[in-house]
Amino acid sequence: MPQFDFTNVFWPQLFWLALFFIVLYFGIVRLTLPRLGKVMDERAAKIDGDLEAARAAKESADELTERYRAELEKSRDEARSNIAAAKAEAAKASEVRLARADAESAAQIEAAEARIADASAKAHGSLRGVAVEGAQAIVAKLTGSEPSADAVSSAVDAAMAR
Amino acid sequence: MNPMHQFEIVKLHPLAAGGYDISFTNSALWMAIALGAIAIFMFVGTAKPQLVPGRWQAAVEYVYDFVASMLDENVGPEGKRYAPLIFAVFMFVLVCNLLGLLPWVGAFTPTSHVTVTIGLAFIVFTVVCVVGFMRHGLHFFSLFWPKDANIVLGLFVFVIEVLSFLSRPFTLAIRLFANMTAGHVLLKVFGTFVVALGSFNALPYVFGVLPLAVNVALTALELLIAVVQAYVFALLASLYLNDAVNLH
Repeated sequence: MPQFDFTNVFWPQLFWLALFFIVLYFGIVRLTLPRLGKVMDERAAKIDGDLEAARAAKESADELTERYRAELEKSRDEARSNIAAAKAEAAKASEVRLARADAESAAQIEAAEARIADASAKAHGSLRGVAVEGAQAIVAKLTGSEPSADAVSSAVDAAMAR
Repeated sequence: MNPMHQFEIVKLHPLAAGGYDISFTNSALWMAIALGAIAIFMFVGTAKPQLVPGRWQAAVEYVYDFVASMLDENVGPEGKRYAPLIFAVFMFVLVCNLLGLLPWVGAFTPTSHVTVTIGLAFIVFTVVCVVGFMRHGLHFFSLFWPKDANIVLGLFVFVIEVLSFLSRPFTLAIRLFANMTAGHVLLKVFGTFVVALGSFNALPYVFGVLPLAVNVALTALELLIAVVQAYVFALLASLYLNDAVNLH
């Protein structure tokens, strides 16, 4: 194997390996990697910061949502109580109006009843007159003699009393 | 064709310094190509780092994040300091492994040479030792001492632990080298089958199709192995670092 022919293979390779490795380490890697490392650290810091900001934003959003929900609940309660109050008020108002209308119609009914009673009384009165006149005319037609007004009226009274 | 031929080191530009042969070879060339690829990947990817990354930057970040999270899992918060080192090791092994799989261009896989892998393993091993002694001083040796054990058993375990600690760079190196070598040998063997069977005169090419299909499948497997071995190398390196940083 040529690899074990150390007299020809050892020093030339070792010398150039050492030289190239020194160049690689100090001339390439030490010059470039730290720059990259700095950027990568910056990026990690930025990502962490952004994540932190996002977390904070989410927290505040959550808080806002909570507050919104609480406010919504409160206004809903308020609205409910407002509705209940309005309903009660409306009920009371309609009750009052109903009562007033009741009273009004009762008065009207009373007046109408009074008028009816009046009319019926008047009608009764005129009925008596008509009956008396009728009876007088009938008696005059039948007997030919005019009965006295008193007799006829008393007879009509007696008949109406029956 | 000799399947070992692909591991031959070719001196492209002979050099010597202080009596040592430091010729620029095909292995060094492909390490340099890997280095250039990593340089392009890294410099383009981090040219203008954006908070919202583009494609290149996202690709570099993906690899970096992969290494960083591996260190975080295995070493803990202290591990982030060693991310550039593990990143460099991981990228170097990964790109060398992957470039070695390029067909046609005569690609050489530096990580198929035990010299290269043991060099990388000793980088990791040295860093582990230095970190261990810098952080814990001589207390670092307590890594090898079992807790709540009597002296005889403790000494016995101590010897085993020290040996296993010292063998780490070798196992780390040989695992990568053996995987790469075996994969490339397999690819080359089936490649020669394609040529050998495809040259039957009666029905040209027909018999070569089967080993070619196998080679396609093997290439996919080798791609997987190239990535997995780079991952394993980096993972073991971070596990060893964990020992040095946290002493279990």
